[in-house]
Amino acid sequence: METHSALPVGNLNMQQFCNSGSSGVMSSSLPVLPNTLEEKFPELPDPQHVPLEREIQRNPLPSRRPLFSSPSGFSPDLSFSSTLAHERHTNNTPFVSRSLNAGVSLPSTYLSNMEIFQVPNNFPKDPTEITWCPDSVQSMLNCSDGVIMGNNQIQNSSNKVSNDLHKQNEWWSDIMNVDWKDLFDDTTISESQPKVVCPPAQSSSNISMQQPQTDQSVPCHSGEVCAVTGASSSATTAAAKPRMRWTPELHECFINAVNQLGGSEKATPKGVLNIMKVEGLTIYHVKSHLQKYRTARYKPDSLEGMSEKTATQSEELPSLDLKTGIDFTEALRLQMEVQKRLHEQLEIQRNLQLRIEEQGKYLQMMFEKQYKSTMDKTHCSSTVEKPTTISSDQTHSTAKIDLPEARNSSTDSKITEGFRQVSNKWKMSEVEPSNEKETDALTSSLPPSKHSRINDEDS
Amino acid sequence: MKFGKRLKKQVEESLPEWRDKFLSYKDLKKLVRLTSAAQPCSRVEAEFVQMLNAEIDKFNAFFVEQEEDFIIRQRELQERIKRVMEDDGTGGSQPSEMEHAKEMSRIRKDIVNFHGEMVLLENYSSINYTGLAKILKKYDKRTGRVLRLPFIEKVLKQPFFTTDLVSEMVKECERTIELVLPVADRGQSEQGRKGALVAAEQSVFRNTIAALVTMQELRKGSSTYGHFSLPPLSLPDLQLPSPIPILQ
Repeated sequence: METHSALPVGNLNMQQFCNSGSSGVMSSSLPVLPNTLEEKFPELPDPQHVPLEREIQRNPLPSRRPLFSSPSGFSPDLSFSSTLAHERHTNNTPFVSRSLNAGVSLPSTYLSNMEIFQVPNNFPKDPTEITWCPDSVQSMLNCSDGVIMGNNQIQNSSNKVSNDLHKQNEWWSDIMNVDWKDLFDDTTISESQPKVVCPPAQSSSNISMQQPQTDQSVPCHSGEVCAVTGASSSATTAAAKPRMRWTPELHECFINAVNQLGGSEKATPKGVLNIMKVEGLTIYHVKSHLQKYRTARYKPDSLEGMSEKTATQSEELPSLDLKTGIDFTEALRLQMEVQKRLHEQLEIQRNLQLRIEEQGKYLQMMFEKQYKSTMDKTHCSSTVEKPTTISSDQTHSTAKIDLPEARNSSTDSKITEGFRQVSNKWKMSEVEPSNEKETDALTSSLPPSKHSRINDEDS
Repeated sequence: MKFGKRLKKQVEESLPEWRDKFLSYKDLKKLVRLTSAAQPCSRVEAEFVQMLNAEIDKFNAFFVEQEEDFIIRQRELQERIKRVMEDDGTGGSQPSEMEHAKEMSRIRKDIVNFHGEMVLLENYSSINYTGLAKILKKYDKRTGRVLRLPFIEKVLKQPFFTTDLVSEMVKECERTIELVLPVADRGQSEQGRKGALVAAEQSVFRNTIAALVTMQELRKGSSTYGHFSLPPLSLPDLQLPSPIPILQ
């Protein structure tokens, strides 16, 4: 299915799951993204188009909880992308490459790309907290959660969709090659259909749009299978188990199915699979998940305590035998405090890492574009020298444009100054305002306590 | 070797079944060293990339599996809490009260450990990412190639790095624990600290502390501070109970 040889530099093998047409396109370092979703939609056959709109209308978008306060304006894209994924999951490979190619060939690239790097980094994954009784609407919206994995940092909606599609195309083509036959064999047509959009003539289980089966069930269509096979594993696991990413909603669906069948002991993987009716879910996934579920249910204490028992003999210490008592609670509290702190710091760190990379990519792109445009200006002799001067400015401003905590205020002023210098030289008037906006956005979105100086410095 | 050492320490402190799932930093570094600086060969680069991809696969597999386990466990914990809360009203007699209290303690412990494990998974993700970034930087430095930027782009989208679900579950856990833990009493917190230090021997807690310490050290401020470096970490008000003297 995939090869290791002659990888394009920097590309993971995941990309090779795309059909050959699109993979060549994908391997360009900075995929150009379409500006609007509408440009893609005309390519979709009509029956898919209509249910797509229906899907969108049905999904209210509860407000998200971003870590750093920021507008969360791209929730709609989750439903777009998930439904698009559903539509594409069968062998729409020529279709896929067509749309991807269309996306890539659009000229007005950098403007849309610049929007990528607008901070802040949102966490759009779950619309609400995981409640104890997720309702069906949430689960419908969350159907995309299992799919969208790497788009948190990208704010531009079309970018998001394209990234989703890009990833999903890989996964779907992988799933397609491997598991669809199993699913066909296992699922029956007559059962009630999930609400999610399916490609019309392809699968056996998609035509009707009835309500899901029983009253107690969370609609299982909300599940999404993401075959997260990486590079080398696919060769060995291709026939067996494309890795799947479970979500709480999908698990809820699973539990309902299991309960319908009379409990975790009585339920069989095949039965559960049939009830769940989640596209792309294979019996292997269900089997392994069922096994985990059984273990978790019938030995909850030993599972939780396992990590402790194996490492130390902490269970035997007298003070820890106290299952009650103030000491114990206080101990737990302290542990919790430390854990919370670690979690907090990890989140901050992750945010920073994402932003740093975005910034680096952005600057790199700007540099490349400028280099390219100056190369085109052959009539002006001075432009030939520009790349070198720009490169020195580039590194200068790159170094300065860092997210500094330890910098003093003099270098802070150099940041915007250096950046303005670069952008002036590049003579890209459409870029300049967004550059400054970008710098402002970047610096101002950082924790204010650490970066108040920078905020003051910026225009 | 600083990162390598820290990573090793972190791995040692981590839960046993996690130990071989971390980045093989040392091996990758060896490969980078062997790479010729003069003529970066594309075959060698392909091998390097292949090795990296294999590592990433390893991370993804482990991460996604752990995540699945967490989802199941979280649900089960919620069920247990529900049951215990329900029993609260009905149970009147002595034995069931005792049982109830015991179960509550068990649940509390389980939730806290569950929370801890999830955070540790996030830490796992973070430290592996850091390792990857570092090794790529070394490679670029050695060969003068530009492998890092596009590669790290891909890494950012990998499942093991997209930790949002785990993060959300952690927050949910924190909310739950507020409901489940009794209100704190300031006066007894001192005694509690001692108990906590003993509790630090529990591997989840120990691992957490080790993770924080590692993070702190890693971000102390490096000699190779560049535009891709993280700012130094400051944890001013957290006093980490040092596990080392106790554990000896």
